[in-house]
Amino acid sequence: MTGKKVLIADDEIHIIHVVAIKLRNNGYDVVAANNGAEAYELACREKPDIVVTDYQMPFVTGIELIEKLRKNDETKHIPAVLLTARSFAITQEIQESLGIEECLSKPFSPKELLKTIEDILYQRAVAIRV
Amino acid sequence: MRRQRRLVWAAAGMVMASLCLAALTGLYDSGIGVGWRNGFVAWRLAACCLGAVGVIVLGLAYHRLARTVASIARQLSCDLALPTDLRAVERAAESIQDRLQEGRRVIGELEVELKDLRLRSQLSDRQKQHTEAIIYSLRDAVVVVDESDRLLMANTAAAQLLDFDPEVARYQPLGRSLGPQCKDFVQLIQRSRQSATEATRREMVFVKPDGPHTFDTIVSCVQEQDKVSGVVAVLHDITREKEVAQMKNDFVSHVSHELKTPLASITAYSEMLADGEADDEQTRKEFYQVIQSQAQRLNRLIEDILNISRIESGLIKVRKEPVSLTILIEQQMQMIKGFAEEKGITVSGRNPIVYDQVLADKDMISQVIVNLLSNAVKYTPSGGSVRIETDVNEVDALARVTVTDTGVGIPADEIDHVFDKFYRVGANNKQAKGTGLGLNLVRQIVEKVHNGRVFVTSEVGVGSTFGFELPLATAEMAGATR
Repeated sequence: MTGKKVLIADDEIHIIHVVAIKLRNNGYDVVAANNGAEAYELACREKPDIVVTDYQMPFVTGIELIEKLRKNDETKHIPAVLLTARSFAITQEIQESLGIEECLSKPFSPKELLKTIEDILYQRAVAIRV
Repeated sequence: MRRQRRLVWAAAGMVMASLCLAALTGLYDSGIGVGWRNGFVAWRLAACCLGAVGVIVLGLAYHRLARTVASIARQLSCDLALPTDLRAVERAAESIQDRLQEGRRVIGELEVELKDLRLRSQLSDRQKQHTEAIIYSLRDAVVVVDESDRLLMANTAAAQLLDFDPEVARYQPLGRSLGPQCKDFVQLIQRSRQSATEATRREMVFVKPDGPHTFDTIVSCVQEQDKVSGVVAVLHDITREKEVAQMKNDFVSHVSHELKTPLASITAYSEMLADGEADDEQTRKEFYQVIQSQAQRLNRLIEDILNISRIESGLIKVRKEPVSLTILIEQQMQMIKGFAEEKGITVSGRNPIVYDQVLADKDMISQVIVNLLSNAVKYTPSGGSVRIETDVNEVDALARVTVTDTGVGIPADEIDHVFDKFYRVGANNKQAKGTGLGLNLVRQIVEKVHNGRVFVTSEVGVGSTFGFELPLATAEMAGATR
């Protein structure tokens, strides 16, 4: 999956930093935003292969970001992973209706996140090939 | 009768006279009156004859008197209808006497019973009055209707809530007396009565002048001989309880998020270190610093929660000493400047050199200042400014600190709640993260621990000024000396 672009959105600079190091160390390109509004602009401009977003962010939350991505024809296909400290707030219905591929509860393991991203991108690649 | 008595007396006189005469003649015969012998013989005969006639007359008179008495007795008996049999009369009199006694006994018992009933009635009236007094004094609304949904009783709270006059509405069908806004409530009572359910519970919303209120409504049917004889409805305002429950949920949610965020960094960075993802010494050092700072952040959050809890329960240890607010402010400004510069916000101060010492716990007041400054920076957009000033009111012997920002401001309807525990301004919720504890801790420390006062003014889109006042140390020490 080398060369794939990942957009990380989180208002915690340390989380962005550690995830970026982990992904870059494994061959990914990383773009980052520290709020939902900025993340949406980056997604429209950079067309990432996958979006990893925190749930609670100022101005535009992770859920609102994914909703906006799904409404835009250019970004609606981008798979999304949600990081949240409030896993109870994300129901199965919300997850399915917004096409959220995976929800990871904070605190999370960078290794686990990397594996999740790899699995999602692999399945997408297989699906496109088929 | 008088004539007969005279006749008897006359006859008796004659008998007595003849007896006297006979006695005299007898005396003569004995020799005492020899010279009168011949003449007295004739008198003796005459007296005997007269005596005999007198006896006959006396007998006749007695006979006639007896007849007259009998006749009078018969007449009396006929006229008065007296019972002829005296024993029967006596028995009747005894029977009447017995009945009279029985009657008196029954009357006595009835009087006791009547007295008892009167007492019970008074007691019952008093209990009814007490019960009504309790019901009328309840803050909960109480409505009582009969088996035909006619209003029997409603207390003042019910009249105010449902907007009707209970005196006018008494014995009227409830649906006719209450307005359309109470339609659901009337239907609930009707359905409960029809289904004869013992108790039905439902949350209902009623609009009061200050906005919608949620009421826990309990409707109970009163059963008498297996029939519903009435319905009692009690409406308890749970608006505040719901708000508190919601605030607690929000608090738990916020706190768990706030706790998990630094924990997420600590977990991720330590895993990276363990997996050897930090190639060089510089990166490793950076990772250790992040772990350390996030652990401190976690500790501060826990301390905030514990401090509020300790202050509220009065368990916190307070070490008061004379401290200069100017010096404390300078220290805290230096701490916050790094965070402010990251956001592109300038922090400045105007702290004149005056005697501004207050008798305070240094750590606690430092916490107050840093909370106000960090709050101002959090809610001020990039490019804005935060200014902290101190002032001394010598007249009232007060030191005053104000923190003014050019932030988003607070809506007027929320400004009274900003110091409440767990409260977060809804409009600014997305602006920055928080637990709603910082400003509450400020108020607790200033007002509860230091007998001061907190205040806030704000204008949406322009900015806010938060501040506090504390008594000057001189005033406090003078007060303590007195």
